[in-house]
Amino acid sequence: MRLARVVLVAATVVLLAAAGPAVAQTFVFGAQGEPISLDTATIQDGISQKITSQIYNTLVKYKGATTEIEADLAEKWDVSADGKVWTLHLHKGVKFHDGEPCDAAAVVWNFERWWKAAHPQHDNQLKAGQTFPYFEDQFDGFDDKSIITKVEAVDPSTVRVTLKQAQAPFLANLAIFAFGIASPKAVEKWGVEYGKHPVGTGPFKFVEWKVNQEVVLEANPDYFGEKAKVKRVVVRNIKDNSARLAALKAGEVHGIEGLNVDDIKVVKADPNLNLVLRPANNTATVSFNYHVKEFQNKLVRQAIAHAINRKAIVDAFYGGLGLVAKELQPPALWGYNKDIKDYEYDPKKAQDLLKQAGFTNGISEITWDDGKKEPLVFWYIPVTRPYYPSPKEIGEAMAADLAKVGINATLQTVEWTNYLDNGKKGLMPLWMAGWTGDNGDPDNFTCWFFCSVNVPRQGYYNNPPLADVLKRAATLPNQGERAKLYQQAEQMLHDDVARLFVANSQVPLVFSKKVKGYVANPTGAEFFNRVEIQ
Amino acid sequence: MRSYAIRRSLTVIPVLLGVSVLVFGFVHLIPGDPATAMSGEKATPERTEAVKKRLGLDRPIHEQYLLYMSKVLRGDLGISVIRGDPVLPDILRRFPATVELATAAIVIALALGIPIGIVSAVRRRSFVDSLLRIGALTGVSMPIFWLGLMLAWVFGVQLRWLPTGFRLDAGTSFQPITHFVIIDSILERDWAMLGDALRHLILPAVALATIPVAVIARMTRAAMLEVLSRDYIRTAQAKGLPGAAVVLHHALRNALLPVLTVVGLQVGSLLAGAILTETIFSWPGIGRWVYESIGARDYAIVQGASLFIAVVVVAVNLVTDLLYAAVDPRIKYD
Repeated sequence: MRLARVVLVAATVVLLAAAGPAVAQTFVFGAQGEPISLDTATIQDGISQKITSQIYNTLVKYKGATTEIEADLAEKWDVSADGKVWTLHLHKGVKFHDGEPCDAAAVVWNFERWWKAAHPQHDNQLKAGQTFPYFEDQFDGFDDKSIITKVEAVDPSTVRVTLKQAQAPFLANLAIFAFGIASPKAVEKWGVEYGKHPVGTGPFKFVEWKVNQEVVLEANPDYFGEKAKVKRVVVRNIKDNSARLAALKAGEVHGIEGLNVDDIKVVKADPNLNLVLRPANNTATVSFNYHVKEFQNKLVRQAIAHAINRKAIVDAFYGGLGLVAKELQPPALWGYNKDIKDYEYDPKKAQDLLKQAGFTNGISEITWDDGKKEPLVFWYIPVTRPYYPSPKEIGEAMAADLAKVGINATLQTVEWTNYLDNGKKGLMPLWMAGWTGDNGDPDNFTCWFFCSVNVPRQGYYNNPPLADVLKRAATLPNQGERAKLYQQAEQMLHDDVARLFVANSQVPLVFSKKVKGYVANPTGAEFFNRVEIQ
Repeated sequence: MRSYAIRRSLTVIPVLLGVSVLVFGFVHLIPGDPATAMSGEKATPERTEAVKKRLGLDRPIHEQYLLYMSKVLRGDLGISVIRGDPVLPDILRRFPATVELATAAIVIALALGIPIGIVSAVRRRSFVDSLLRIGALTGVSMPIFWLGLMLAWVFGVQLRWLPTGFRLDAGTSFQPITHFVIIDSILERDWAMLGDALRHLILPAVALATIPVAVIARMTRAAMLEVLSRDYIRTAQAKGLPGAAVVLHHALRNALLPVLTVVGLQVGSLLAGAILTETIFSWPGIGRWVYESIGARDYAIVQGASLFIAVVVVAVNLVTDLLYAAVDPRIKYD
């Protein structure tokens, strides 16, 4: 009897418990995992970026759904005629969430933390295993290696940055999330633990991080820009794609990122959900190793380009979100060459080209430069990426197309970090690769691959004239002139069949129909202060 | 009993030493290295090499092991490769979530499994017995991943009766005392939070309990059948004792010993990380954390958490062994 009473009370508590979805003043977003850190200078992952983009401002930012640059902490800027000296004029009166002024001195402090190995915070963080990868990549390294030679506060609201040489994508780089301006006082206070206590100037302030569960932010009432329309944001860590979609359909979250390809039609058919597509800022490629004699022959590369039915692959495996790629840059980039005529799917032509190249019996075996022969192995990536959502199946389709024209490749893969290592060491003869852009500038796509010649990670592709075009394009101040050079570079890549370009893919985000105002940006720089819940 | 307890406890040491070697070895056999995982896809070989040196991964494996064990003996389970946080405090923060889930699952498993086993044994070869045995077999055969998603879909998405994941609703402010949400909400007398916590616990606990229910039911049935065939049971029945008294008072107590063994093993495997259940229901426990760490090649977390779980499982089995005497006074420890 007593037990029954206890059970009844417990059941009543459960049923009457104040539960249910969060009130409309809280925007709940389902992320694909746990953030690494909220110190935006040290992170590379999109999950952390999603949160830090709400807490920090950068000096400039990407406009709306484009990669055009507009003002953020810097309301205007000038550049010298030689492109080496940038003067940034900051908004006046902006404060960090801890009340400290966000002035030129704070901006200079931030630059120095990123740039100088001897900066106390840089040094401490390095010893604790934290690095500054984006600064290293975008500004060529630290200290004297960096393209930056001087950063100074001209007056309380003016910062001057001096470069070794002109860097055309300088502003596009500054708009990357990793260059969010942090409160020097907070960084000094928390040291290596700062990543758990972020302080910026953004539309949302950090409240708490429940590890392995969620991060809670609240609106910043003193924000200098467009104030948030919701009072709170909760970013929940929901690892599994199906579980995340279930949470959205159950009304427990208002939006998610990361969807199984098969669920796209489920979402489209649901009248309560809205599919938002992030414009494609990625490209899937197939790379050739130029230490393989067969791939040194352009006719063979052309044959491969004609042999693979990329349209059928995009239609079958990209859930309606893919586009056939005919060049390295995706169409959203201003350096894209719309005049390039793609290699059409033509197995007969592929076979003719192979015969012209002397491979009348097709290719099953390859010969390395050192004379070693081995069966042709086509390596596919072991992880999913937006540009390769089903890499194994896509690899199988490609291998089948190649086999039809007489190129017999064995499919193989290896654990992801080993795959990356093999790629960096130039060990794979034919392999899948890809790229997601960081800053919307064509330099970010093209230079990583083709500014260096004869390097292992690019399969030892050796095209100095192409490298020269790209290096010149990276220094010109005029976007129109730069665009022409990038278009020329794309034509060179196309004519030489340097790589096979497979697809670009839009990235799906899904929201409840009640959510309005979310703007998807190709770089992933997306801001919750524009979101409202009706 | 005392000497048995001491001897039994001492056997734990070589067991844990063996586990540490196996865990360390297997973790380092996982393909791929954490330096590459940490430095990212776009990292130069030089940056990856620098990370490798900093993590000590360039040292011979036996040196790495000895260094690691010297720290473990001082209570230092290392630092997370990805986040730089000490591993042991993170384990202690996450483990209560797994204990809470495992406890709920075992309570459900016992509450259902033992009665099912008893009824199945008493009504042997009847339609009820067949039905219950098929149910148990189905429970053991259903993939937890699928079952968890189905439960979330039906009760969370379609019916909206229960939440699809987590321990509490989004944004609920919670100052942990013990990190057991149920206990903390009782201590705080926060009945709304208690209700919320219980609602969130139901689906993952039911999903996790399906296999233990089946195992406990089958073991109870088998043990009960064996006991019910004994002479003293026939004597009790001949004396006119009510059926329920014979079954529950005379038979069940003696049938519990093998069931206790199974429960001990089940508790151990549940605490070892209900990885799939925790992942499906976004339950912030140790299983999900280890699973994510394996993918990220975070050696320190995988090693530290595996060792910790091994200690817990060994401790649970030790307690199980020592409890036998309490259940069956005939057992004497020499």
